[in-house]
Amino acid sequence: MIKKVLSLLLLLALFFISKADAIYLNTDTIKHSTDVSTEVVAHDKNAIFSSSAYFTFSVKNPTSNDESGTVSYLVTTEKGDKVLDKSMNVRIARNSNDSYDFHIPELKPGFYKINFMINVSDYDDTTRRAFGIRPEEIVSEHPKPADFDEFWQKAKDDLAKVKPEFKITPMPKMDTKDRQVFEIQMQSLDDYTIRGWLTIPKVKNKNIKFSVLLGLPGYQVDLDPILGSDPDLAIITLNTRGQGTSRGPIDMRRDEFISRRIEDKDKYVMRGVIMDCVRCIDFIYAQPNLVHDNILASGGSMGGYLALALAGIDKRVNLCSAQNPILCDIRDLPGSVEWPMSGIKKYVATQPGLTMEKVLDNLDYYDGKNFASEITCPSLIGIGLLDPFAPPNSEYATYNVIPGHKRIMVFKDLAHEISQKYKDLEGRWMRDTFALF
Amino acid sequence: MKFTKSQIKYFLATVSLFAALHLQSYGDGFPVRPKRLILNPSVTYFFANQAWDSVRVKHPFPLNGKYTSLTYSLSAEYGLSRRWTLVALLPYTMSTFEQTGFKSTANGLTDLETGIRYYIANIDYRYYFMITGTAITPLYTNPNLGYGESGAELKLSFAGSGHLFGLADFFQLENAVRQYFGTQGPEQDRYSGTFGLALDSRFKNQLSVSLGGFYSTSSFTKLQLNPAINKNFAFNQVSLSYGHTFSRTISAFVTGGTFINGRNTGDGSSVSFSLIIKAFR
Repeated sequence: MIKKVLSLLLLLALFFISKADAIYLNTDTIKHSTDVSTEVVAHDKNAIFSSSAYFTFSVKNPTSNDESGTVSYLVTTEKGDKVLDKSMNVRIARNSNDSYDFHIPELKPGFYKINFMINVSDYDDTTRRAFGIRPEEIVSEHPKPADFDEFWQKAKDDLAKVKPEFKITPMPKMDTKDRQVFEIQMQSLDDYTIRGWLTIPKVKNKNIKFSVLLGLPGYQVDLDPILGSDPDLAIITLNTRGQGTSRGPIDMRRDEFISRRIEDKDKYVMRGVIMDCVRCIDFIYAQPNLVHDNILASGGSMGGYLALALAGIDKRVNLCSAQNPILCDIRDLPGSVEWPMSGIKKYVATQPGLTMEKVLDNLDYYDGKNFASEITCPSLIGIGLLDPFAPPNSEYATYNVIPGHKRIMVFKDLAHEISQKYKDLEGRWMRDTFALF
Repeated sequence: MKFTKSQIKYFLATVSLFAALHLQSYGDGFPVRPKRLILNPSVTYFFANQAWDSVRVKHPFPLNGKYTSLTYSLSAEYGLSRRWTLVALLPYTMSTFEQTGFKSTANGLTDLETGIRYYIANIDYRYYFMITGTAITPLYTNPNLGYGESGAELKLSFAGSGHLFGLADFFQLENAVRQYFGTQGPEQDRYSGTFGLALDSRFKNQLSVSLGGFYSTSSFTKLQLNPAINKNFAFNQVSLSYGHTFSRTISAFVTGGTFINGRNTGDGSSVSFSLIIKAFR
């Protein structure tokens, strides 16, 4: 009897676990419905393989014509250098389906782009995908500056000399039924005024303390208050200098912001931006109604980069969630991404005597990878294999150096974005860690 | 088979307590974090006036007999670390067995349970596995209140949450194996499965159904001097529970349950009211 019950328990457990795994679907959306259509299936839920990548390319021909021609693939590096290709002649009879298995020969660790092409009598198409080979072995070729820690300690020391002058202004017109909204303001590095938003649940018990979600901004994004209905969480959204409500003296054209004073590592705009994030942690610590050891720093794109940077240099951050962080393994970015390197190159070209090498030397102090190597709190990273701004090689080179507990979620068919599955997991992870059951 | 008075009151004493405690697993399954304390006070009313015999045939109690009990209990779980917690359960029961011309009562603390729980693993912070080891200490000498023997229990639990029909759902599966020590100590297996739905997006109201059972056997049957102490019995019960969350720290549950089959046991029904109090939040 006992064995039967235990067996039943095990079966039910396996059912739920298999249900959880089933959320990872490997198939891509079938293109078209009345024309020839194609479908690419990666034989790994994340398109990450230990040796040889394996795809199936399926073609449906619902037309009344036989289709003849080729199906092929082209594998390139992230920088576009050709690695492999293969083509095969095909004939797809009318009203029929066919599929072709492609076992890509073994490649060295890294991420690769792969295009699947069909060129038949009445139809040409290309499906762009990417895959990885043993990405856990990816190592950046570019070391961290020896004085990286000193550089950022100096920045924090400079910040500490600035009186924060925290201000919290109720914004009752923005309140919802369940949450109060406040505008927050503080002085940051160089006595720059930065602003953001704080929303907290409305509660009768004024002694309740809330865990904190700190939302960090994407590039030139104006963050608004985040409301939601979470009764356990205070949510801060920070507009770092030059963005949204913190524009003030730094109010630049979108493309130019990333290059502001990049010629001087001590005056580069991102030094202030990162110190703005540190100052916001000071703000959290100054609030008696916030739990000071339950702080999740989260953001996407530049916000993801800032989450890495903040968690790397400020150990008061308890959880770090970075989605598609930009500016990682920066020296490897030229050739792999158009932005932000294009804007930086354009700026260098306008500055007499400034070289790209000098800029890259400066950017070594701002490389997300180098911050990542300092992160000791638990971290969650999300990447898209088709990301044109945060290529997976750079993302993995960054992820691999994080010494603390870490997890990466790979979205093989997404570009500069993550799916709701990431946000759901992030929420459960935070609730588990902060004991918000 | 006909029941005698002593048979009925003895086996109902243990069964009613088990039935009551079966209804108290709310919130169980998800980790209790360090320095957090969850208290679960409850009161359960149990009633039975018929029983299944050893061949699973149901009979009414003779002479208009009926058995009732009121059990108060307090369970608690305290987080020691991210993986380890302390658990405890203290029940107090008041039972009455009445027949035409006969009435007996038994009141008192019953078996104290103290133990330690280990959160083994989780899957995506959605599904949690845990194991609990518990020591059973009788706090009575009156044989009407239980076996009067020390024991130990090992419980495996699996709990999780998800979404169904746009509503948040949760489930819990557990199986516990208990051994009472001493020459007459039975082996027992308790199992239960619970599935619940949050009725609104803010998790204010929830509804859950449970199916649980109890299987008790003793290899010392032949040696028992007192054949009335019930150690060989089994039953299954279903229950329906409604819960309401009043605040971040207090939730209340009302639960009704009834036995659906059994052997050597009363055919009982119960209703329970309990609170979940999340202290130190």
